[in-house]
Amino acid sequence: MSDREIQDSVIRALADAPFRASPDWRGLALADPTRLERFARFLARHFYHERLVHFFKYSRALARVTGRRPEAVLHGAGFDALLPTVVLGSRETARAVAALAVRHVRPASAPQTIPYLADLLEYEEAMMIAEAGPRVWRDDAREVIARSREQFPPEKVEGTVLLDLAYDLPAVLPKLLQPWTEVPQASPQHGRLLIARSPHGRVTVARADAAVASVVELADGRKTLPELARETGLRSDDLEATLAGLADLGAVRFATGS
Amino acid sequence: MRSAELMVGAFYNPHLAAELVRAEGIDHLAMADPPAPHDPHWPAIKQRYTLLLHDYLGQLSEPLDERSIARARSLAELYRTPWVAEHFQCLHTEDGRYNINYVFPPLYTEEFLQRFVTNANALQARLDQPLVMENIPGFFDVKASQLPEPVWLRRFFEGTGAGFLLDLPHIWLEAHYRAVKPAAWLAEFPLERVVELHVAGVVEDNDLQGPWIAPAAPSDEMLDFMALAVSRCPRAQAVTFDAFSPSLTPEVLLSSVERIRQSL
Repeated sequence: MSDREIQDSVIRALADAPFRASPDWRGLALADPTRLERFARFLARHFYHERLVHFFKYSRALARVTGRRPEAVLHGAGFDALLPTVVLGSRETARAVAALAVRHVRPASAPQTIPYLADLLEYEEAMMIAEAGPRVWRDDAREVIARSREQFPPEKVEGTVLLDLAYDLPAVLPKLLQPWTEVPQASPQHGRLLIARSPHGRVTVARADAAVASVVELADGRKTLPELARETGLRSDDLEATLAGLADLGAVRFATGS
Repeated sequence: MRSAELMVGAFYNPHLAAELVRAEGIDHLAMADPPAPHDPHWPAIKQRYTLLLHDYLGQLSEPLDERSIARARSLAELYRTPWVAEHFQCLHTEDGRYNINYVFPPLYTEEFLQRFVTNANALQARLDQPLVMENIPGFFDVKASQLPEPVWLRRFFEGTGAGFLLDLPHIWLEAHYRAVKPAAWLAEFPLERVVELHVAGVVEDNDLQGPWIAPAAPSDEMLDFMALAVSRCPRAQAVTFDAFSPSLTPEVLLSSVERIRQSL
């Protein structure tokens, strides 16, 4: 093992609780297990504190009405029970922690003043889950992705979400972070949002029109561009422009090996 | 003491911007994040303060890519920073699959020393400002490390000519967990390389079952430790209250800077 590989093992042990408990890790005997476990738990709480504060910032702004801060779940029994399975940055753990926050905030709401709370929590949960997963830290890997464009059928990137909402959330979100005395309201208005993550981990939200939604739903890594154009009813140049935009957001990539 | 020669400052906490625009007795602000696009106080902050680039640029166990270097250069120019800071850290795996999202030191080995020296030299060649590197505390030892941290750091500075950003609570914590006196542990480090010092408080953490870094006011003991350290750092130019958190109050920030200044 190179020193870099040993360092990677230590980082993985801190991030990945099942690996930390495995004979593979324990057999390396690289660090005091008690100290390592304490530090790993500290890191887990820190890691998800940052994400809950960021992705649930709107529910956090509503805490003076709901009485519940999303990040409070990190000091509850539910999060402690998750610790033996936590893998920092994984989609599964993001889903589990976000669900804890949703369950914590939802029942305490005052539905007569925040009718859009269910939409809001669904949006925040989707954002936190979308951000999870491995990311590109250096740009050389991205060149391969760029080169593969147009050579392979497009496919929806794992974690990309189309969210159906009953309220006009995009209009109310900025108001929640401004000073307010009465809870800002969102008008009832059905809409669809696209949530996607770039290879570098940047999460983007955009309103999804019918064309965008149909391309995202149909891009399965098998359909060719002509097939997609036929099924979506888009002209070839419109389809290519839509795909280029979706690829830039990280919602779609061009599949290899299929 | 050396208070007349030293800048005393804090971190730019955007939620305290209004207070920082009006504050007195703060010479500089360290920037952990770029200013938000619509931060109404940013123009006044930029005009008023010396700004120190202290963002995450990348881990020097690997070479920084062009995008990261361009970002570092752009921020350095925006802030007109006198030096650029990074950390002795290696917090994500080489393949990007695992990331602990928290400062974590590399193995103190010859291989990592060579990696950091090579990559720091490459970064310095692309910067218009000097590079300073901050020490990171270890909560546990990794048995694969070959060199004591202070020796590894000294050889890094000899190999790069970079400056040392001495984080005192990090030294204090390591001394605590090694059960040695902080002053004795401090004396092991290459203090003649120090350009900037960080000072802050520590608090008890339930998971660690002991003290750890926190955005809290420094204790009297920490301030005494700072005064001792400054007296041994002949090239130090700045002392920074190292607290960057939405939970930080203006009272803690302003009083901590004032107490640091009085202790120098």
